[in-house]
Parts: sequence; structure tokens; C-alpha cells
Amino acid sequence: MTAGSSVGAMENTTAAGHYVDVKGLVKWFGADRAVDDVSFGVPKGKFLTLLGPSGCGKTTTLMSIAGLHAIDAGEIRVGGVLYTAPAEGIFLAPEKRDIGMVFQSYAIWPHMTVAENVAYPLEIRKIERSEIDARVADVLRLVGLGQMADKLATQLSGGQQQRAALARAIVSRPRLLLFDEPLSNLDLKLREQMRLELKRIQHEVGITSIYVTHDQAEALVMSDEIIVMSKGRIQQKGGPREIYARPVNAYVSNFIGVANLLKGRVIAVTAPGRGNVEVTAGGRIAQLPCRLGVGMAAGAETVISVRPENVEASRQNGGGPCLEGEVIQAIFLGNCIDCRVRWGEFEWKVMAHPRAGLKAGEKVYLRLDPEHTLAVQP
Amino acid sequence: MTVQTISADVGQSPISSRWRSLVTQEAVATLIVSVIVAAAVILPLFTLVVSSFQVLDSGGFDTTWGLDNYKTLFTDRIIPKAFVNTLLISAGSTVVATFFGVSLAWINARTNSPGRDRMEPFNLIPFFLSPFVGAIAWHNLAGGKTGLLNSWAHDFLGVHGNLLNVDNIYGVIWVTGLFFSPLVYLFVVGSLRRMDPSLEDSARTTGAGLLRTAMTVTLPLVAPGILSGAIIVFVTSAGDFGVPFKLCAPYGWQTLTTQIFSKAVGDDANQYLGAAMSMALGVITVFLIWIQQSYIAPRSFTTVTGKGFRPNVIDLGGWKWLAFAFNLSFILFAVVLPIFCLLVVSLHPVWQAEIIPSDLTLHNYEKTLFWWRPDHIQAATNGIVNSFILAFLGATIAMILSLVVSYMIHRTRGFGSRLLDFLCVVPVGFPGIVLAMGVLVTYIKTPIYATLWIILLGYITRFFPYGQRNVSSVMLAISEELDQSSRMAGASWFTTLRRITIPLLKPGIFAGWVLLFIIFLRELSMSIILYTSGTETLSVGVYYLTNYENETLTSALSMVQTVVLLVCVFVFRRVAGREALTA
Repeated sequence: MTAGSSVGAMENTTAAGHYVDVKGLVKWFGADRAVDDVSFGVPKGKFLTLLGPSGCGKTTTLMSIAGLHAIDAGEIRVGGVLYTAPAEGIFLAPEKRDIGMVFQSYAIWPHMTVAENVAYPLEIRKIERSEIDARVADVLRLVGLGQMADKLATQLSGGQQQRAALARAIVSRPRLLLFDEPLSNLDLKLREQMRLELKRIQHEVGITSIYVTHDQAEALVMSDEIIVMSKGRIQQKGGPREIYARPVNAYVSNFIGVANLLKGRVIAVTAPGRGNVEVTAGGRIAQLPCRLGVGMAAGAETVISVRPENVEASRQNGGGPCLEGEVIQAIFLGNCIDCRVRWGEFEWKVMAHPRAGLKAGEKVYLRLDPEHTLAVQP
Repeated sequence: MTVQTISADVGQSPISSRWRSLVTQEAVATLIVSVIVAAAVILPLFTLVVSSFQVLDSGGFDTTWGLDNYKTLFTDRIIPKAFVNTLLISAGSTVVATFFGVSLAWINARTNSPGRDRMEPFNLIPFFLSPFVGAIAWHNLAGGKTGLLNSWAHDFLGVHGNLLNVDNIYGVIWVTGLFFSPLVYLFVVGSLRRMDPSLEDSARTTGAGLLRTAMTVTLPLVAPGILSGAIIVFVTSAGDFGVPFKLCAPYGWQTLTTQIFSKAVGDDANQYLGAAMSMALGVITVFLIWIQQSYIAPRSFTTVTGKGFRPNVIDLGGWKWLAFAFNLSFILFAVVLPIFCLLVVSLHPVWQAEIIPSDLTLHNYEKTLFWWRPDHIQAATNGIVNSFILAFLGATIAMILSLVVSYMIHRTRGFGSRLLDFLCVVPVGFPGIVLAMGVLVTYIKTPIYATLWIILLGYITRFFPYGQRNVSSVMLAISEELDQSSRMAGASWFTTLRRITIPLLKPGIFAGWVLLFIIFLRELSMSIILYTSGTETLSVGVYYLTNYENETLTSALSMVQTVVLLVCVFVFRRVAGREALTA
């Protein structure tokens, strides 16, 4: 009986069609709820990112799936196998979960060579020496460390340790890959290169992956799906485009990319999902046509969210509804002008077209595209 | 773990998974070690407390409950004086050791005194040698009747009578202070070396002079180190048995330790009174160690940033030769003269405070070393064999224990790990002779009494925290993720320990092992309470010879012990480097 056949026979997805299924996860640290009723699923072969600032519970969630933490309530199921369910007293030891994991510090064992590091999971699984050697060579080639097999881990650069850690995580073809902020110790340039590399390799081996990061750019580049977390709770789940274009609340809107966030109140619903929102800022009042988020009825308190690139700024009043403000800062960046525009007490962040030629001190008219002006949960 | 097991476990029913999830290797090991540590530490101390309230009746057979033992501490003819003597010796030794320790540390770390890089190993040698042997050597160097220095003073300087006499309480202070100077040195030299030089530089830039900077910046930053070292010396001196036993007890100055010893094994043995005296001594030392651990030690970390700095070196000008001479004299007093004296005395058939070249013989070594010779002295030869057995077994068992305990303190969280951390500090606070009384009264009616096992148990209980600190310091430097990634790779807790954790900790484990090996080879104050005929240790052998034989035989065995210890120190320095000592 081999691992492949027996595990394969049980490899069912859950009713919802999810390969990884996390239900009602709760984890207490002392009096704090580090993870507070978190549920999500990951379809087989997909790449999911848990995104949030430090202390949002994303790493705790990952550690719970890995089995390096015991959880206080909820259920974790992967490939139809129940990993942990405290209510039923079930806790599968981390080594029996068949997971590959890449740690923040890479955790490459310094007393072994690169090849020994990568061979370790296979040795633990009592695989024949000849097969181990072949698979280690294969996977080292895949991550681009073919020449480094006999180097000691301490002789590798940060980026190379990263690749070795990835090789070690995927060599046993685990059910699931977990990444705990693996790129955060690399410098910017290497990080950008490794994002694409990691994504390529994950795609090539096709292992379902969960990735933890606080870097929104990383999340947008790599993920099939993103979960934005804050204070132990899920704020939003969706594809990168959806999260960026349709944030459900001010938190997500602010965390992913840059947004103008302005408090207001829905005064009328003009069509399903469309309406007008009144915003005020230090004596200035405006009524803006918006897309309404979930639960935004007439009279509801809301926050409007507009990305800087969706604000059109011009020196001429082209007619129609627009906001009249004053440019207080204009930084020419080549492909755009990064502007701050004062409107009452509010400062709009505007990414203006370089040909708009805005300068500080000038009067300017801002026009908002109703399709990209969102009224979201405050 | 095989592949088959992985898939089989996954498929098990919830009921058996529940059972399996509770009984893990980790949980079983944690439980076993916690129970062992708790029993080894708590049981003797608990029994000690209990038996201190048991009063032996006049017949010497039955006991009743009461406070009479504690009353005796005040009303006895000797004990109150012994108490005062102990305090005097501790205070005096602390002053001597702090004087030498701080000035030597400063000379070596911060001045341009010649040869300062070469001095340190020699300054630390007394730390590894037995103070008891030091007392024997100094007795022969400057004793009231037999002093080599005295006869040299007579021959070369024409001094009449005795110039020096260490056979008194001042001699005890001198020898104890000399031998414990490295303790202060180690506490201070680290902070002096690793102090961020910009701290002093910024004081200088504000206009403070050299002296003012030293008094307002340097000294306050090093003060916690000095205070820590001083407290450790005070406590260690109060618990030391060998030096007062050799130098002042025979001449009418009893200390608490010599009194505890006579109550434990003497003709008027009364363990219950001994227990009460041990309690009195233990309470004082534990209180001081508690202050050091909880208030002073945490502060000393704030003075160092952990980065490697090149500290400011002060140019002493012509005074550097005085500093050099000062350092040399310390090495002369604490290392060279004592060892030279042991060697010289051990080569004479009879010691008359004079070197007689025609008399030199190796006969003393034959009698103490070669147990196959018909005229060997059994206590000495037994001692050598037993000490090596104890040191080897003890260091090995203690390091295994240290490894698991360190793992649980640093890799698991919660109440259990904090309790273990506490239990590891407790034995450090008790003098060996106090803990030995506890072990004695606990196990006196069990089969391990009068075997090597009871000594082994005592050694491990008292000293495994030293090994544990060696392991812990390395473990703290190793990321927990290295262990976790092994678990994620499919390795069990035990396999992870065997293939990842232990190989990574090897330097710390080996350094701790050698340190314990050294400590066990010279241990006296526990062995002297726990030994019986046949289970003598090396130091007990020396005690036996000094008590029942002559100075020349004593010096021979002392010399053997010293040489063995020096070899171990050499090995230790090779494997551990200087930092391992300060842990």
C-alpha cells in the first residue's frame, strides 16, 4: 500500500466543493481571541492568501492548520481528512498531516547540506535511497538549486535558502503547502522576483497552497483568492481584482492599495445597487452618485471609497457634478502626477494624468466616476 | 514514522484518534521529566523541613515533634558562634573576591596592560580547582607550623617566628576569596567587554572627564554584574565546607557547614538538629539568590546590547606595568604557588616546611594511585575510581535531563514550563551541604543509602541547572522554526529531537557535560555527607588523608585531582570557548 493510493481513495472534497475546509476556527491567547470564528474553504490546486497586518490572526490560523497550535473551537479538514476538531477531542499531530511548510526564517537546518535538508521528508517516509536521490535532484532543479546540492545551508544566500526551503516543502508532494511570510526577509528586488518564481513553481506542482503575508502587493500578484483579516476576523474574501475593485468596507479598501475614504450617508436609492450619498467636509457638502455596497439602504451611515486613479482632475469645469478644490501638493512622477487636493477639511489623493499639468496652489475640479465610487460599510 | 502509518492514522475512527492525540511522545516525556525533577528537588527539601521539627530524645532513638532544634540553634554552646563565623567568612571572602574580580576584569577588558589576552585563562583556573585543595596547599605554604613561605622568610629575610599564619578565620577568608574571585570576574568582564563604547563616548563629549565618566557611566552600568558576583560569592562561601574544615575548624573556629557535617556523621550525630541548621543556612542563601535572580540579574542585561563591540581601551601609561604585576601576583597566589606547594610536599616522605632534594620520592603517588599495590590506601584509590564513575554517569544523566527540561521551558508554553524554570533555580540557591542533608534524611531508610546512587542523585539534583543553562543559552539562539519544519516534514517529536534539535545543540550539550564533569570530579560538600566506606570520592579521599594520614599523602592525591581538573579545563576551553562559562 502506498501513500498515494490510500490517501487518494480518501481524497474527497467537502460538500461545498472545498479541498481545504476551515469551519468556525477559534483560538484564544490568554484573554485575547487571536482567531475569532474564522471559516473558509480552498478549492483543490488553488492558491489562497491570508492577508492582514501583524496581530490579525493570519499566522495563528496557518499554525492551526499546520497543527503547531491546538485550537479552542472549530474544525479543520483537508482532502476529506479531519485534522482537528476539539469538540470531538480530535487532534492529528503535525507530522501526520502531510503538509509542506515554508517558514519566515526558512528554517533550513544548518548542520545539513542542501540535499540532506531536502531529502529529510523522504527519509522520514522511508522511501528507497535511489528514489530519494532522484526526487531531490528533480526538485532542486525545479527551484533552480541544481548546482547547490552539496553546499551547507549556511553557505546559501537568503534567496537560495528560500528556494531550498520551498524544495523541502514540496519534495514529498504533500496534500497542502503552507507559507508563513516567506518573502519578508528578502530585499525588495529579490522579493519581487521570488513572487513570480513561487507562483510559477506552485502552478507547476499544482499543490493547494495557503500563503500568509502582510504585503498587499504580494497578495495581489500571487493569489487565486485573498482573505483580508483584521483582529482575528475575516473582513473579505475574493479574487485579487474583486478585493481591489469592490472592497466591502473601509478597512479592506484602505488596506489594499490607496483609497480616499470619506464619511457620508445614503440619501436615496436610485436603482438596485445604485444611489446617492451625501458627504460633508468642513462646510462643503456634495451629493455623489455611487455604487452601493451590501446593506446600504436609504439613511444608512456609510463611507465612500474612491481610488486615486479613479478621480479625474482638470483645471476647467467641464460641467456636470464635480467638486471644486485647491491643489496643495503636486508631485510629478513621470507616468502621473501625485496630487493632494483640499476640499473643505478633506484632502483628496488624486493620481492625475501627466498632461493635466496641475501645480500647487491652483484651483481644480474633481470628477468622480459613479461606477468606481463605492459606498461601503464604515 | 512510515508512510503506512501516516495513512493508517488518518483513517482511524475519532475514538482512537482522541486517545492517540492525548498520549504523544512529547506529553509522555514531559510528564516523566517533570515528575523526576519535582521529586528530585522538592522531596529532599520537603523532608528537610519536616525533620527539622523532629526532636531527638535523650536516648537518641525516638523523636517527638517540636521546635527544640531551632531553640538549640540559639542556646547551644557552639552553634551561635559558628553562625557568626560563617557570616564573617562570607563577608570577608566577598570583599576579597570582589576586589580581585573587579580589578582583574577591568585590567583585562579595558586597559592596555601587557599580555591581557593571555591572562584570562589563568585568571579563571581557580574557578575549576577545588578550594579545599587550595586550603591544603596554603596550609603548607603559610600554616602556623609548617609553612614553606614562613621558612623562606626565615632563611632569606631573617624573619624570626611565623611571618604568615593562615590557620585561622583570616586564612579561610583569604583562600576562599582567592578561589572565588573568578566568579566576580566572570560576571563583570562580560558587561565591560560588551558595553557599547558610544555610551562612554557620549559622556566624554558632554565634557565629563575620564574619572567622572567611569564613576557616572561605566560603574553604574557594571554595578549589577558586580553585585550579582558578590552575592554568588557570599552564598558559595557560606556553603563551603572544605576550606573552614582544613584551616579554621581544627583551631577552634567552627562554621555552620563544619557543624552540620559533625551533626550528620560525627559521634554526636543528630540529623534532626543538622536539618534545622541546614534550614537556617538555606533560608539565608535562597533569599540572597532570589534577590540576585529576580532583581539584579535582569538589570545586567540592559547594559549590553548583545552586539560585538570593540570597547574603549584606556591607556594606563607607566601604570600598566603595575596592573600587569598585580595580575601576575593573583595568578601566583591562586594558581602557581598552591600547585607548586602541592607538588613539592607530595614528593617528600615527611613535610617539615623545607625542600630536601635528597628525600624526593614518588612513594606517595604509588600509595594513593595504584590500587593493585598491597599498601595502597583504599579511601584514596576508591575515591579515584568512584569519582570518575560518578562524574561520567552524573554528567551524562544530568545533560539528558537538562536537554529535555530546556526543551520544555523554551519550546512549550504554560504553567508547566514556568514551574520547571522555577524548579531549576531552586537547587542553585541551596549550598551543597544543605541539599545533601535533605537527600540524606530522605533516603536514609531506602536501599540506595550507602551506595554510589545516593551520591549520584545528590550531584544531579544540585548541579543539573548548570548544564541546563548551558543548553538553554544555545537553545534560545536557535529558531523554533527549525524544529517545527521537521514536524511538518513528517518527523515525530522524538525523531525531531534526535535528528534536528540535539545535533544543533551539540556545542551547548558538550560544554555543559564537561563543566559538570569538572564540578563532579572536585565535589566535596555533598559527598562528605553522603559517602560511606567504599563510596568515597576523590575529594573525600583527600579529606580522609588529611584527617587520618599526613600532609604529604594528602598533597599527592590533591595533586592528582588538580592535574585531572586542569586537563578537563583545557578540553573545556577547546570545545566551549570563553562565553560558555558566563552562561
